[in-house]
Amino acid sequence: MPEKVGIVGIGQTKFTSKRRDVNIPEMVYESVKMALDDAQLEPNDIDAILIGNMDHFEGINFSEMWCGIDAAPGYMKPVVKIATGGTTGSSLGICGYYNVASGIYDKVLVVGWEKLNEGGATTGIITAFDPVWERPSLAGALGPLALMANMYMNEFNVSPETAAMVTVKNRSNAANNPFAHLQMPNITLDYVMSSQTISYPLRLHDCCPQSEGACAVIYANEKEAKRITDNPAWFHSVATSHYYTFGCDDKMYDLPTATFASKKAYKKAGIKDPIKDLDVAEVYEPTSWAELSWTEALGFAEPGKGGNLLREGISQMGGELPVNPSGGVLSTNPIGATALVRIAEAAIQVMDRGEKRQVPDAEKALAMGFGGSLWTELAILGNEPPR
Amino acid sequence: MNLRGEYKLAKKDREDIFEIRWKTDLPYKYSIGKLSVKFFEVLKKERKLLGSKCPECGKVHFPPRGVCAECVVKMTVDDMVEVPPRGTLVGFTVINYPFVDPQTGGMRPFPYGYALFQLDGTDTYTMHFLDEKDHTKMEIGQRVEAVFKDEMEGNLGDIPYFKIIKEG
Amino acid sequence: MKKVAICGIAQTKYEEQKIDLTISELVFEVVKEIHNKLNISNDDIGCVISSSNDFNDGRTIANMAIQDAVGSVRKAESRVSGDGAFAYVYGAMRILSGEYDTVLIVSHTKCSEGDQYLINNSIFDPFFQRHLGLDQISAAGLMANMYMTKYGISEQQAAKVVVKNRKNAMLNPYAHLQQKVSLEDVLESPMLAFPLKELEFPPFSDGAVAMLIANEEKAKELADTPVWLEGYGSCTDAYYLGHRNMSDLVGLEGAAKEAYKMAGISDPVNQLDVAEVYDAFSTHELMSYEALGFCEKGQGGNFIDTGATELEGSIPVNPSGGVLSSNPTMANGLIRVAEIALQLMGKAEKRQIADANIGLANGMNGICSQGNCVLIFGGGK
Repeated sequence: MPEKVGIVGIGQTKFTSKRRDVNIPEMVYESVKMALDDAQLEPNDIDAILIGNMDHFEGINFSEMWCGIDAAPGYMKPVVKIATGGTTGSSLGICGYYNVASGIYDKVLVVGWEKLNEGGATTGIITAFDPVWERPSLAGALGPLALMANMYMNEFNVSPETAAMVTVKNRSNAANNPFAHLQMPNITLDYVMSSQTISYPLRLHDCCPQSEGACAVIYANEKEAKRITDNPAWFHSVATSHYYTFGCDDKMYDLPTATFASKKAYKKAGIKDPIKDLDVAEVYEPTSWAELSWTEALGFAEPGKGGNLLREGISQMGGELPVNPSGGVLSTNPIGATALVRIAEAAIQVMDRGEKRQVPDAEKALAMGFGGSLWTELAILGNEPPR
Repeated sequence: MNLRGEYKLAKKDREDIFEIRWKTDLPYKYSIGKLSVKFFEVLKKERKLLGSKCPECGKVHFPPRGVCAECVVKMTVDDMVEVPPRGTLVGFTVINYPFVDPQTGGMRPFPYGYALFQLDGTDTYTMHFLDEKDHTKMEIGQRVEAVFKDEMEGNLGDIPYFKIIKEG
Repeated sequence: MKKVAICGIAQTKYEEQKIDLTISELVFEVVKEIHNKLNISNDDIGCVISSSNDFNDGRTIANMAIQDAVGSVRKAESRVSGDGAFAYVYGAMRILSGEYDTVLIVSHTKCSEGDQYLINNSIFDPFFQRHLGLDQISAAGLMANMYMTKYGISEQQAAKVVVKNRKNAMLNPYAHLQQKVSLEDVLESPMLAFPLKELEFPPFSDGAVAMLIANEEKAKELADTPVWLEGYGSCTDAYYLGHRNMSDLVGLEGAAKEAYKMAGISDPVNQLDVAEVYDAFSTHELMSYEALGFCEKGQGGNFIDTGATELEGSIPVNPSGGVLSSNPTMANGLIRVAEIALQLMGKAEKRQIADANIGLANGMNGICSQGNCVLIFGGGK
């Protein structure tokens, strides 16, 4: 029989640009230990370990064979690595869900990490693309993201100031999140607008940072989850949508995969009107422009009207559907962990443990992962088990 | 170590103590497939571009490739069709930040123009360098044309960039 | 546990270098063959789980390159970074969750495109082990020496594994190496890492394997002879070679215990009809016999001497020819599963084991059996 799946423990390191004081397994262990302590579990209580990391970035092949043993309690247990680029964390989170939903394991620890300053993310990302056709001109993830912003801006006549509002919102939110990398509590629209253009129309502060850190989440089946904690965060649905091999085979600014995946995820979770039925969303926005367009693709706003979510206060803290109370990817981006942080933060919200970043009465939360050839992955979490 | 986990050491000392440098050169030789082989042959000999047309849905793919993603059917060299070296600008940017080029191991020169465009008669979009570093001179909808090298070698370097053109 | 069924299998011929095929085209060959064999279209496939490795493909997010080929447009695909048997396990979990009726599992490697020494050296940590120039060959030498010394295994006994598997490979049209070798050939081949000689290591191969798995209801529609998952176990040994007991495969032993428990196997030699193990080098197969409980600890050499693991023996091991004959690295575990499925379906042709009803396949990640999974299959006819 398929099992219901709950999140019962979460650990995040303080994300930062460089963790000089720890090596890779030491950094990963920090988050693992926090998650175990959070769930009040011993290492031996865990049945299986799933690791998420883009091993090319740090140059460690089979990094899970190292971290699964020296950072997580994987000795004499199953250890598997999931790696799908930007979506690594969500693919990992979804894999954890199936490990438990299948009835194979009762308690699973998933941990995503990246130590980006030990390798080269832009260089690494270039090698994700076709060696003949795409690599010569590609400039990492930012080039295509700039093209998307350019097309979106042109299609709907959206101003750079509208995009900058996203950065101001998310970085202001990050000031309420002790784990967030960039802490800019007093950020202003002028500050974002006056930053250097690094890939037109993207200014420096339209873009996410590169972060080092790890995020660990413990999953349990219904019986174990209820035993471990009074308020697990329950999975109501998960969905993935992929697309063409060549990222540029379609105009990409409206992220069609987010539309496909959200239809599936909403249907299963019984979400009819996302603005009304969801209480909070953690959206994977590598750029300010991306949040505008992708909240539209998720059905939060009409095409081209994503800016209204900000102007009308809907996606701001205190609004009808706050987006990225954690500060989002614009504040923190440890690639292999980034999308798992979205799931962890969504869980924190429905568990009512968000402290200064808590959305009041959050019962349903959406978490999004983005990566690869414009793939979208979604998870919808609730404070009650699914029916 | 202070409470924030930072060692109070000079920058130089910190690097000596905490890092080891590892410079691995990991070489590869990628198969490019029969369609790409044909593409570069024709590019070199005839200065023409080829795409691949799906025998089932008729979608013209550029760059050419072996599988139509929509139909999940194979395309072969027999399905390759000529596409004009001209198209329309769909999106653009100017790359203005430093990074290591994995192909050379050195820094990629910047700034450079980089664009998404649709070649006439194709159903996909494609990316390449654009010979323009001033974004105010670019506009979506502009016409672009491939620039070929004088001496063709049979690789993508034969098309160093696309340029913006005015058509009468 | 008639819940997850293998319905169809496709493999490429494993070869030294498939220079005319991109990775996407290579994968498409097996995906299309699955469609054709089962008379289905891409619409009949619920989702896709692939297995690959970025270092082998020379490509970050290596699964990006195969999206067209696996038919994942507007569909879910995910990737296990590692051995294909683990991708099978993830696919089976998706079926067991009740959310998918069918899952396509695909795994590929083109060893010819990368530098296998550097790729394998990158598995070792950059502080203590990588500088030593360790790779899968030197690590295997250490393991073989410790195992052979501890248990008094002879070079001849180790070489017999190669002779057996290469002989079996002659009957498998997909196998890469198709030349028979003698005991003398193996013993006289150049020493690569004492005590292991060149022929005691696998070749490097290019190839891909795919299979369609389904729930019980769909399996009835799709296959006359579905092969059912009966048992599964997975277990990981320590990372640093110095932290490990290098003379026994304790991780594989742990995985086997769990899988046997789930499948109700107490006497593997008598209950299993056939096994496909991950023979990364000659003595590795002997060590696997012990870890899988086919014989007592230290008796792997004597066990092969009895002929029990030959095609006509009591527990034939690696009728496909094993990794020693075909080695597209990440695909190896899924190839083991594919061969067991073919055997249980009665479709293994010249290498068919008579009356094969229960079989074992194992997959491996990392160096010298660090990460292991053991799968027990049943049914078929």
